[in-house]
Amino acid sequence: MTVSALTRPGERDRLVVKFSEVDWLFVLVLCLIAGAGALMLFSIAGSSWDPWAAQHVGRFTFCLVLMLALAMIDIRVWFALAYPIYGIGVLLLIAVEAVGDVRLGAQRWLSIGSFSFQPSEVMKLGIVLALARLYHGVSAERARLSWWLLIPALMIAVPVGLVAHQPDLGTAMLILLTGVAIVVMAGLSWKIIGAGVAAFLAIVPPFVLFVMHDYQRQRVLTFLDPESDPSGSGYHILQSMIALGSGGLLGKGYGLGSQSQLNFLPEKQTDFIFATLAEEFGFVGCISILILYAAAIFMALRTSYLSHSHFGRLAAAGVTATFTLYVLINGAMVMGLAPVVGVPMPMLSYGGTVMLTVMIGFGLVQSVRVHRYAEVTSGKGSFV
Amino acid sequence: MTQPAIFFEEVNERQGVFHRRAILLGGFAGLGITALGARLAYLQLLETQRYEKLATSNQFNFKLQPAPRGVIVDRNGAVLAANRPNFRLMVARDKGVDPEATIKTLANYVPLDETRQRRLLKDINSAPKRAPVSVMEDMSWEQFSAINVRAPELPGVTADMGEVRVYPHGGAFAHVIGYVAKVNKDDIDAITKAGRTPDPIMLHPGFRIGKQGVEKALDEALRGRPGARKVEVDANGREVRHDDAGDIPATPGAEIQLTLDVDIQNRALEVFGEESGGAVMMDCRTGDILCMTSAPSFDANRFVRGLTGGEYRALAGYERKPLLDKCLSGLYPPGSTFKTMTALAVLMAGIDPEARVTCGGGMNFGGRYFHCHKRGGHGSQNLNDAIKNSCDTYFYSMSLRVGPDRIAQAARAFGLGQTFDIGIPGQKKGIVPDPAWKKRYFKKNEAMQPWWPGENLSYAIGQGYLQVNCLQLAVMTARLANPDYKALNPRLIKSVGGKELPRGSDVPALPFPRDHIDRVRAGMAAVTDVGGTGYRASQLGLGDILMAGKTGTAQVRNYAAGGSRGKGGTWGLRDHGLFVAFAPIDAPRYAIAVIVQHGMGGSTAAAPRAREIMRTALLKDPEMMARVQKPLPMPEITPDIEQDTAPLTPTVLPPGAQAIPTVAPAPAPLPGRPT
Repeated sequence: MTVSALTRPGERDRLVVKFSEVDWLFVLVLCLIAGAGALMLFSIAGSSWDPWAAQHVGRFTFCLVLMLALAMIDIRVWFALAYPIYGIGVLLLIAVEAVGDVRLGAQRWLSIGSFSFQPSEVMKLGIVLALARLYHGVSAERARLSWWLLIPALMIAVPVGLVAHQPDLGTAMLILLTGVAIVVMAGLSWKIIGAGVAAFLAIVPPFVLFVMHDYQRQRVLTFLDPESDPSGSGYHILQSMIALGSGGLLGKGYGLGSQSQLNFLPEKQTDFIFATLAEEFGFVGCISILILYAAAIFMALRTSYLSHSHFGRLAAAGVTATFTLYVLINGAMVMGLAPVVGVPMPMLSYGGTVMLTVMIGFGLVQSVRVHRYAEVTSGKGSFV
Repeated sequence: MTQPAIFFEEVNERQGVFHRRAILLGGFAGLGITALGARLAYLQLLETQRYEKLATSNQFNFKLQPAPRGVIVDRNGAVLAANRPNFRLMVARDKGVDPEATIKTLANYVPLDETRQRRLLKDINSAPKRAPVSVMEDMSWEQFSAINVRAPELPGVTADMGEVRVYPHGGAFAHVIGYVAKVNKDDIDAITKAGRTPDPIMLHPGFRIGKQGVEKALDEALRGRPGARKVEVDANGREVRHDDAGDIPATPGAEIQLTLDVDIQNRALEVFGEESGGAVMMDCRTGDILCMTSAPSFDANRFVRGLTGGEYRALAGYERKPLLDKCLSGLYPPGSTFKTMTALAVLMAGIDPEARVTCGGGMNFGGRYFHCHKRGGHGSQNLNDAIKNSCDTYFYSMSLRVGPDRIAQAARAFGLGQTFDIGIPGQKKGIVPDPAWKKRYFKKNEAMQPWWPGENLSYAIGQGYLQVNCLQLAVMTARLANPDYKALNPRLIKSVGGKELPRGSDVPALPFPRDHIDRVRAGMAAVTDVGGTGYRASQLGLGDILMAGKTGTAQVRNYAAGGSRGKGGTWGLRDHGLFVAFAPIDAPRYAIAVIVQHGMGGSTAAAPRAREIMRTALLKDPEMMARVQKPLPMPEITPDIEQDTAPLTPTVLPPGAQAIPTVAPAPAPLPGRPT
């Protein structure tokens, strides 16, 4: 197709054209990451598709199709659904508070029939959509420094508070940081950013000491000195670092990682899959994967640049921020730079929830890309 | 929200702000990923050796393996203690192991009754974590394989092959060699108390420590150096693979050769039958102990397996004390066998051996009548007669002239009242009394301190305070019979790991004129000659190979006048029967001492047993056999037809060898002899 063809009115609404507008290089990068994940899952199951690798591939295929389908949805529909999704998310979090299942000591799961899910995942997307929707109709002046900022602050605080109360500090932090990222990118005053950072630094030590649950505090303290308790809570970090370090430059070879194959590495198929990869493929393999992640992040961020609508920009950037946080937090945790929090490496780790969330997010990003020239007005299709 | 709320320039401004801020996000992501990359470089490129080491120590474990315990052999290399494979089953307490359920499951494959299960559960729960507790030893191959294939579903369970000590001769060597058993707390405490640290191999469930005799005394040498198996383990410590190339081989324990002879030893235990006592035979030329048997004995293999309470009580409670080593730890009055020493003292005192004492059945001394064992008396006796007839009256009389110091001096010179360095523990010194000893012994009781002349009398006939063990009597006899008149020392351990230990004959000569010793030997030869006290019981039936000896009957208590004299009644009150002997008389080679506890008479209980043991030794000796089978003067035999038809027959028989089978029964295979 030609540029002139695309300038023709209505041309961009054609499905074929929309499809071609998807960032296929981005899709390729995602496939490579998920493929690497499947490769590692195959290895640690003792060269077997069961129990992880096959399901991982299946899930990713499903999520990929879903992402492409979501990419076809008009950006204005996303815009219109922003508040409702956020609202439903909040309601579900309240519901979880009331009737949720307690699993592993935390109330995170909501069961509807045989289907159970974590409403906090809905919120990860909900906060991005809602804040992007909110900022869409706000002047730069207000977004910079005004009393109006209390609205986005409240919108972030409510879900963060609810999720933290479950307690799921990892997700709460993720939602908080995503929200803050959007607020910052929307043009928050440096004064507030500076004050916020200062306040954060001031509040962390008392928070760790007085507010956290014992196991949470233990994780943080262990992180500060992992070798203080190598067989206890320091075990995860230490074993992960051993797996990484012993991989060396080129790794021990596919299927030959002793740390993961002999179960020294905990959660080897989920949170610590990066360590498995590091052990078997070494520094070269790790850097390759990091480059893929970096590429994915920059492609998604570039999409936000292309968008002509403020909603699109912030939504794409918000999703990118969430994704970036996943990668950095998991990477830091695996490498012994952050305490152990239950944050997986998106696409690489086994586990459907996070993959689904991230891929739906990327569906939104691609939708922003496909509909980057669409004019979004706050009036059209708005429920508010 | 009102529309249009945002003006064109504002839209542009918002876009500009976003574009700048988005760079912030990009920068943040880039910085973060770079930091991760840097961290990876640090861990994987700079610190990789350290983590490789940690990963290896995670992955591989060295598991200590006890070395094969050294074999113990007799003087000819016949095996006395060896090892055989043992399939054993062990359970260790660990994460995710429910000992109770595990034992219940195991009971389906191996027999474990309720009491055993309860005991095991207690053992497992009190054992350190991951330290395996033996559930069953000596499983059959079927049981072993049944459990081994199910091992992956049974966490904490291991079935492996170890070695177990085996004593092929059961009881014959039980006291000398001892036995091995599991290490218990006392063993560890003893080592800790000695200021050393227990070898970690001692915690291995397959390890056994020597508890008695040679096994205990030479434990360190027998133990060898443990090896290690390099195994790959998973995070739960479960063995995944075995790396043969990484194994550290064990150094097997040293082979220990004893001077004992398996045939003589077995025969000795056999001849004791139900009787209790000890027999020690020595080579009179070298000092090597050829036999050291204590009867009744026990099966050392039972101790290896572990005795049940009932078995132990039966052994410990039996009045004939099978657990006591009567050769080393049992002390007895030597009785008349001691008259050899008194005789030496008589000669030492310068008394003419032809000087005569008239025996009328006893002697009055200090207001008490000292009986001779022959009520009617022996009549006129010189030294030779007195030894031959074991005349008490002669020695009573002489003891007053000789005095206790000379007797003690002779006794000590011949090895009584001392222990010998034979390499195993358990020897008791016994008592060789003299006035100085008595003063020391009754330090707190002055009234008892003086040496009464009357004591000389009982001393002279081997009674009183005098106490000896069987080994000492054998040494005494061997010294009497040594061709070089040396103060021969006994040797039990011939070599350790191929290194020979010093012989017992590398010693100075006895401080006695040779003719004195010759006189005693002559007296002993008379004992076993026609008319001597040991004549009937000492006939070897080996042609001109004769045995000299001395009988002894030791009182266990003071008899009431005219009492039963210990010849019957309650077993524990009967006299001990003793006999010391050497053979052949003309060129002494073997010396023996036999004590039959409460066996009543030396000539009836001890001498026949000594003879049987002596015969076994002589018949096994090729030089002796050659002597027995020496050609008799015979007419030339013309070759018969058969020999003509088989000219190539390589049979080389000494001429006339077949002519004297009645004199020399070929050494028939003895019971218990290894084949």
